Amino acid sequence: MKILVCMKHVPDMESKFKIAADGRWYDGGDLAWRINEYDEYAVEQAVRLKEQLGNSDITVLSIGPERVKEAMKKALAMGCDRGVHVLDDRPSDRDAMAIATIIAAFARGRNFDCIFTGMQSQDRGSGQVGILVGEMLGLPAVSTIVDFSCNGDNRYTVKRELEGGVRAVVEVRGPALFTCQLGLNTPRYPTLPNIMKAKKKELLTVPVTELAGTGNVQDTVQLFFPEKKGGGLLLEGEIPELADKLIAILKEKTTVLA
Amino acid sequence: MIFELTEEQNLIRDMVRQFAETEVAPSARIRDEEERFDRALMFDRLSELGLTGIVFPEEYGGGGADYISYAIAVEELSRVCASTGVTLSAHLSLGANPIYLFGNEGQKQQFLAPLARGEKMGAFGLTEPAAGTDAGGTKTTAVKDGDSWVLNGTKIFITNAGEAETYVVFARTDKNAQKHHGISAFIVEKGTPGFSFGKKEAKMGIRSSPTMELVFENCRIPASQLLGEEGQGFKIAMKTLDGGRIGIASQALGIAQGALEAAVNYARERKQFESPISRFQGVQFQLADMATQIEASRLLVYSAAFKASNGISYSQASAMAKLMASETAMRVTTQAVQIFGGYGYTREFPVERMMRDAKITEIYEGTSEVQRMVIGSALTR
Repeated sequence: MKILVCMKHVPDMESKFKIAADGRWYDGGDLAWRINEYDEYAVEQAVRLKEQLGNSDITVLSIGPERVKEAMKKALAMGCDRGVHVLDDRPSDRDAMAIATIIAAFARGRNFDCIFTGMQSQDRGSGQVGILVGEMLGLPAVSTIVDFSCNGDNRYTVKRELEGGVRAVVEVRGPALFTCQLGLNTPRYPTLPNIMKAKKKELLTVPVTELAGTGNVQDTVQLFFPEKKGGGLLLEGEIPELADKLIAILKEKTTVLA
Repeated sequence: MIFELTEEQNLIRDMVRQFAETEVAPSARIRDEEERFDRALMFDRLSELGLTGIVFPEEYGGGGADYISYAIAVEELSRVCASTGVTLSAHLSLGANPIYLFGNEGQKQQFLAPLARGEKMGAFGLTEPAAGTDAGGTKTTAVKDGDSWVLNGTKIFITNAGEAETYVVFARTDKNAQKHHGISAFIVEKGTPGFSFGKKEAKMGIRSSPTMELVFENCRIPASQLLGEEGQGFKIAMKTLDGGRIGIASQALGIAQGALEAAVNYARERKQFESPISRFQGVQFQLADMATQIEASRLLVYSAAFKASNGISYSQASAMAKLMASETAMRVTTQAVQIFGGYGYTREFPVERMMRDAKITEIYEGTSEVQRMVIGSALTR
């Protein structure tokens, strides 16, 4: 089975963000970078699928400047077999459509049986790239998956997370694309021997100009910090009424009572 | 000269840090309180992550990485729990490394490989009641009897003792030789008749790391478990300690780094006179000195580790690294307690534990005085 995992390099979310001089994105200068959290679930799921099926090959793809290679090495150390680094010095200038076009241009004709992406990136958070890639390749795309099983014979049963803690079971026949949500799995540590082995794995660099297709269909014109509002939500009323309100909010906004 | 970690070293740091913060840190305080060693966490997990044999070649079950990677691993573990850091350091540098450096092929396959893979834990028995810094004063004896050696004597203050399966032990094999020349090294396994453990030490710090006596009473081991050559023991001990100092320097570095981060976070939150104390220049100057000393220590530690990996003589470099890092750890942790004020003196906050843990780094694997002797004698030779 041929598996593709797409990953993005994003700033550590504990960083102190500054708006860049052009006012349209954040300043990347002093930030520490990590694999996008949702993409780590994608990597882990791909590796688990390979462990289940054997005889599979996982390609991890990332678009970005030189620095993304270090994160790709981590994905290789977690169990991906080969890496494709699409060299692009300013990936943040591209919108979801442009990024998806690049990924689709790479994947087209390579006959991947299964594609995993994060359900969104922690920085832009559009949640569109994976689904757009599925559309461009003519594959079924199942979004925000929280459980995944392969029944062999290219058939998958997955659970999706819906609003309000509701879940849906979806059956799909491959080739297919899945976008991975928090709770899908616990990504493994790249062990020291696997970090050493990752050095010897193929990591190919492709200039973005070889893959680029359409340009942006939307542009971010301004990035800003929201004005600070007063903290929290204050519930008022009698105690039984308060309890009902709280339970309703917990049911709607969280899964703790699901 | 390039002051930059490699991709691989960065990946190892990220991996060990994530493990340390997620799995080791949560129980550090309670393990210290209860003086409890948790083997599943503090050793078996390290084995699963491939850390128990970092620097040894793959053919002996090791990871094939360099000494900087090893230093980083001990540093990151010690940043949250100095007891876990020393468990790895004593196992790898003191238990396994002398077998790697001086063992024959059979000994490496039989004893080093299980240590490197983390199936067994290692320890090192040199110190005796009357022979600490003066290792030449070793009183434990080993007498050749046919195809065996018979050991008698007591070793004290042995890190990992009781838990470890494989011990490198030093004993006098020639009473007539000058004191440094009559000592030999042996590999002794837990469970050998005549080999038992004495009392467990109640310590000031690193309380989650076991420290016990080794007792040898007519303990008979096969002649094949002599490590290196007869009479070579003192040299083996000194070479082993050169490497061990990189481990302890890394431990000290990690303790200091953990204390600095705790102090910075606290100073940002703690308000006095209606302002976070981090805004006071008096506090900023203290933090600045702490950070500067830590960074200087780090460069010395990584430089000694670089030499160790590249076949450059590193005895003096590791002594400097250990001297600087351990004294920095003591100063920085004491200062961190000061910044925390009364809260820092309570066991609710980690800095008092770090201060207690730091002290031992100025003492074991060569006191600060011994490091100065090593550096001073190299300068004036």
